[in-house]
Amino acid sequence: MMESTVMIAVGLLLLPPLTAGCLSLLINSSRWLHVINLISIGTLVGAEAVVARAVFLQGSVTAFAEIVYIDALSSVILFIIGTVGLACSLYMRSYMDEQVARGVIAPKRLSLFFFLFHMFILAMVLATVANSLGVQWVAIEATTLATTFLIAFWRRRESLEAGWKYLILCSVGISLALFGVVLMYYSSLRVLGDVSSALNITQLQQVAAQLDPHILKLAFVFLFVGYGTKVGLVPMHSWLPDAYTEAPAPVAAMLAGVLETVAVYAILRCRGIADQALSPDFTGGLLALFGLISFALAAFFILLQHNYKRLFAYSSIEHMGLAMVGFGVGGPLGTFGGLFHLVNHAFAKSLAFFAAGNIHRRFKTVEIDQVRGLTTVLPWSALALLISGLALTALPPFALFTSEMQIITALSSSGLPDEWTQPGTRIPVVILLLCSVVAFAGFLYRITGMVWGPAPKDVVPGERWSVGHVPIILLGTMLAGFGLALPASLRHFVEMASALLLSR
Amino acid sequence: MSWLTPHVATQIVDFSSAMLLLTCFAIVAQRRLSACVDLFALQSLFLAMTAALVAFLTGSRHIYIAAALTVVVKVIVIPRVLKGVIERLNVTRELVMKINVPASLLICGALVMIAFFITQPIIPFGHLLTRDSLAIALAIVLIGFFTMISRQKAVTQLIAFLVMENGLFLGATAATYGMPLIVELGVFFDVLVAALIAGIYTNRLQDAFDSVDTVHLSELKE
Repeated sequence: MMESTVMIAVGLLLLPPLTAGCLSLLINSSRWLHVINLISIGTLVGAEAVVARAVFLQGSVTAFAEIVYIDALSSVILFIIGTVGLACSLYMRSYMDEQVARGVIAPKRLSLFFFLFHMFILAMVLATVANSLGVQWVAIEATTLATTFLIAFWRRRESLEAGWKYLILCSVGISLALFGVVLMYYSSLRVLGDVSSALNITQLQQVAAQLDPHILKLAFVFLFVGYGTKVGLVPMHSWLPDAYTEAPAPVAAMLAGVLETVAVYAILRCRGIADQALSPDFTGGLLALFGLISFALAAFFILLQHNYKRLFAYSSIEHMGLAMVGFGVGGPLGTFGGLFHLVNHAFAKSLAFFAAGNIHRRFKTVEIDQVRGLTTVLPWSALALLISGLALTALPPFALFTSEMQIITALSSSGLPDEWTQPGTRIPVVILLLCSVVAFAGFLYRITGMVWGPAPKDVVPGERWSVGHVPIILLGTMLAGFGLALPASLRHFVEMASALLLSR
Repeated sequence: MSWLTPHVATQIVDFSSAMLLLTCFAIVAQRRLSACVDLFALQSLFLAMTAALVAFLTGSRHIYIAAALTVVVKVIVIPRVLKGVIERLNVTRELVMKINVPASLLICGALVMIAFFITQPIIPFGHLLTRDSLAIALAIVLIGFFTMISRQKAVTQLIAFLVMENGLFLGATAATYGMPLIVELGVFFDVLVAALIAGIYTNRLQDAFDSVDTVHLSELKE
């Protein structure tokens, strides 16, 4: 009986977004579109809870003739998709309706928006639960295809530009990852000989130690560059600030909070296999090096920004870089910190984009200089912006402080796992600390400037309570709460997931 | 078929993959957009032939399905869509190039050498039949990548992306006699949808900017 419940729950991970997406195309009423969206996401979250419980008891779940494989790592990612997805759905209720009311988009195009949104969620869930690395690739490319029109949804010249850049850069990057998948298959076929299941994670994990290191090295480099483009690691990041600026706020929140996380998950999955045949210093060194470069460059770009959405975009690059450093350094502390950082960043960044969406709607500008006196104009959004800003600069009591400290501690105690730097060198830690001070100062300076001061005269003050405020409160509470006391179940899952990443 | 020794079979597959590489160079040297589309269709035809050859020589049935899909999607559907897009545009030629044709060809020659150099350590593990095709596949991917960077028209960039995809498909066929069918189908679906979406984009770019020159896409800056 237990078994069948889990099967149904696994089915309910994939079925609701699919049906909801198809239904959305047929329905014109905005109210029903939102209802279907909420039911779909609600079912998804419920199914995640059931699956997570099964993973907790059994360690992992496979379903549908080994097409689906879920372990603690995928459960953590599913948790992020579910929570941020739910928050976005609630936020969209007020956000999208106002856009329709103001005539920014025709009511008819709302169904298209919801269709693409559901397909986006479906592709991300599929990428997370797929057992085969090939199916995972297909799903991640599908996220690109589903989101490119969401980014270009306002159809202005700038949004078309951002959407086109995103489509081309990510498709090319992802193509390189496909070459990596082909190479992975090439190496596993030589050991397994079975055509249909040789790309399955369950199979690969068993034989990973026998795979040929030369091929795996090449495969991992291609996979890392490919999925790294999607994560937005420097120097493959140039699509990211444009896309986040032009996308509607809920979409930007999903891109920054969830899509990057799913791409990181894909890299971690491949790394888990590559590490068993290669020296972990090779993959770790690659992750940590690119992470450090991304962190450092993004920190300086934060200083230059005069557009608050771009500011958040560069902060995403910075935080993903930091998480990569955590995974690269490895060890129980670094890996735990990296995963925990992914969770916290997803919540903080979606909160930041919700606030940004509210500010943009009221002030009609994305220039930081023209936004003043948020405390009087939009008190709730000001609070959200302040919380997310303080969290993103990793101040206590917010959870990002904990995870950032864990990563920095791991780095300073074990150093970069490179073959080419001297063991025990302190230079990476110094760079990391200096850059985080730069980012801290730059980010906080911009945010505080927006929050306080006299409000411009042409902006209507006052903020009416709406459904869109529920997710803001929810995420804000979670951010502060996780920093003070991490729920035992979540801690356990993150620990299980980091144990999976460390085992070899 | 006594004449079909493994050696002869390898030669045939090598020849067929080499033709793919040759069309790649032709695409790099071609300035007319519609001719580029034709060359892409021709390349896809060679790809389908190579896949069918491998399927015939190894007896793996599922590669026939992939070859048939290649003909339908990449020889017939996508070129038609692209031709339709080009007809709507007011440009037929790639006029300004960041890197001129002779220089591009030289760079592509260098890329082929790099591809052979990178794959050198892993080639001996491959099947005898398709040993060199893996290197050729990587060369095609790299040339597609380069074309994408060096050209400015949205249509040419799209063709370059499709060329990359052809290279990947050749790589999958050569290295592993094709990916699992479910993955293969998924990849075809993605490529088809990507090409359609990019086609829609070119139309919208044309409407918004009066041009498909991606040089105009420079409003988003720091």
